[in-house]
Amino acid sequence: MSSIPAAESHSQNQKLLELLGMDRMTLSSKTRAAQSPTESWMRYLGFPGGILLFLLILYLPPGAGLSASAQAGAACFALALVWWVTEPFPTYVTSLVLMFVLLVTRTSDSKAIMYVLGMEVIWLNLLAFILSSMLVKVRLAKRMALWLILKFGRKASWALLAFVILQMVLAPLIPATAARAVMTLPLMIVVAAIYGATEETNNNFGRNLFLLNLCGISVLSSMTMTGSSANLIAVGLIETMGGKRVYYLDWVTVGAPIAIVTMLMMWALGQKLLFRISKKDQLPQLEGGLGLVKQQYAELGPLRREEKKSIAIFALVLFLWMTDVFHLRWFGVEISAPFAALLGAVIVLFPRYGILQWAEADIPWHLLIFSAGAYAGGLALDDTGAAEWGVRMLFGGMDLKGVPFGISYTVVIAVMMYSHLLTTSKTVRTLIMLPIIITLAKALGWEPISFALPAALCIDWVVGLPISGKPNVILFSTNQYSVADNFKYGMLTCTIGVVLLVASGATWFHWIGLTPAFWAIAP
Amino acid sequence: MNRLFMAVVLMCACAGANATAIKTYEARLEVAADGSALVTVNLKLTGSQPGMVPLPVGFGTLDDFQLQDAPRGVQLNPVPSKDQSIVEIDLPQAVAADVKLSFTFRAPDVLAQPKNTAGEKSGLPAGSRLLRHGFVNTQAATIAAYRVEVRLPEEVRVQMIREQLPKPKRTEVLPRVRLDRIDGNQGALLQVANLKQGDKTSMVLEVVEDGRSYVWLLVGLLLSAAYLVGFRDLVTPAAR
Repeated sequence: MSSIPAAESHSQNQKLLELLGMDRMTLSSKTRAAQSPTESWMRYLGFPGGILLFLLILYLPPGAGLSASAQAGAACFALALVWWVTEPFPTYVTSLVLMFVLLVTRTSDSKAIMYVLGMEVIWLNLLAFILSSMLVKVRLAKRMALWLILKFGRKASWALLAFVILQMVLAPLIPATAARAVMTLPLMIVVAAIYGATEETNNNFGRNLFLLNLCGISVLSSMTMTGSSANLIAVGLIETMGGKRVYYLDWVTVGAPIAIVTMLMMWALGQKLLFRISKKDQLPQLEGGLGLVKQQYAELGPLRREEKKSIAIFALVLFLWMTDVFHLRWFGVEISAPFAALLGAVIVLFPRYGILQWAEADIPWHLLIFSAGAYAGGLALDDTGAAEWGVRMLFGGMDLKGVPFGISYTVVIAVMMYSHLLTTSKTVRTLIMLPIIITLAKALGWEPISFALPAALCIDWVVGLPISGKPNVILFSTNQYSVADNFKYGMLTCTIGVVLLVASGATWFHWIGLTPAFWAIAP
Repeated sequence: MNRLFMAVVLMCACAGANATAIKTYEARLEVAADGSALVTVNLKLTGSQPGMVPLPVGFGTLDDFQLQDAPRGVQLNPVPSKDQSIVEIDLPQAVAADVKLSFTFRAPDVLAQPKNTAGEKSGLPAGSRLLRHGFVNTQAATIAAYRVEVRLPEEVRVQMIREQLPKPKRTEVLPRVRLDRIDGNQGALLQVANLKQGDKTSMVLEVVEDGRSYVWLLVGLLLSAAYLVGFRDLVTPAAR
């Protein structure tokens, strides 16, 4: 802060204070300004670059296993990916372009493209933002954020660690990753503001905070087999196709250490290597520092009636999210995550007894459009068979017969980990990849579980792009980091995961009998 | 007593007829440019018993029906029908348990433009044709493995797979219909296991002329050039 002129510093402080008041906490649709000359050049060249890649894939000699629509789908997705990363347009405009191009290249029909706006994930986003607006309006989010900073936030590093622990606690309790993202988003925004990170002035604390949470939400889901429904599908496939039952404790034994160690490594590496937080940025950026935070917290006084009401509503939704496995038994119907949020929204918006008016709900429609486009592109890759073809080509192109276990295992883990860049659905990816991996293990002469369980641990690691998972879409709406930042952070996380899984495969996975010796050759 | 004896004989006869099982049923379609196809069917029967097996073939017209390979005494008789013709396989008394059969026929309009009724809007763009294949196992024996291989003519490719039924089960690794290169041309493979009596399988492929229009290239290059000119201020020193 010392290098900033006094007037500018004062105005910046004023903005932070307003943001802390949360009156101006809108998830804006403003275009993120280029942060450096490199980013300006990326934007300038990204547009023709995307088109060139599109044309290259479109006019490539067709693979015999690929339909024309699958080839066009891959070309459209590549175009959008380049534009999302380089941002010649705001991401939601790219999504709209993608939806149009999917139609005119005959990749998808209009019904399939328009349908995505009615998908569960879009509804969940919309409803979750209504709940989030409630927390903001009654200042409960501010209260929780200030408390968090007072307890753990004497240094930026500890504030970041507090979020890792928070996500670790929430992950086994709430399987819906989007719900976890929405619950903690208001906290993140306020804590980021205290450390000087807003959507107008991004800084490395903000990048670390949001990307650490993004990875935490997804990666920590792999601690338990109930962390996501895709994990349960994988368990089912391992049992039916691989012939081995995976118990809850089996999964936790191998999954939890990998996920926790990765997150602790990312907590350290993120701030020391990727987005370095300087010594002065380790302290709250508000004039008055922690004293002011303390004062603001004291000014909030005891819990007000509206706050208590919000807690009750949120607790009800949370209860429904946490107990979804019992719904059928209790109610005769499963109240899925979007419908639990819908019930919460109904109470929040209820005339007289509710908390919010519709106009007070901050719903970032640009984000929903961005998500819709991303899902339309991802679904096109799945529906046309392009994603499945890509995976088959990848495995089919490698002759792993007679190769030591460790080499095949490393290939399987790496392909499973990075394949999340090709599809936006964990379920689809699981259904495509796990049967192939189990069949591959059988063909190579290995126990299917030795490949399949470690590979299943990668299912939730959907952290490479803002479109790779629901929490990514939600957190990207804050404008606190770019697609390139997300890619860099996500790829490092995945690479650490691969290294840890391979190292584990060579050591303690073998000691507990999950994998054979690393250099063993199949009989 | 005589009635009881007759009933036992009949039951044995029925059991014998039902015992003939179809281990593999493979049909290969060589589609010609005019849309007709030369169909070669290869069958492997196991546990064969004397009697008649009414084999469904999944096509209406069976032109130029020819028996290619069959053990001595086995007779095949095509019985045309509008939608799904059958081939009656007559197995003689001294038939071996394992029987291999092969026959060919020509099926017209396998690849064709769908006919629209008057006033009906076409759901296909000009130049697109559909390859439809549907099969119902109408006979008693379960078909352990049913496989149809389609080799398309030159200069065409599959635009999209419009239908592939039944949906693959979770335990199935491959999709129901898989595209692949077959003898130099693009083709498709439909595979289903354990087709019981009454089970159906089908695929619909939309087929188009190979090659892309150059309009995409032209539009792409024009848009790129226009952007580089119109947005050059993004990288000019003043903008930075």
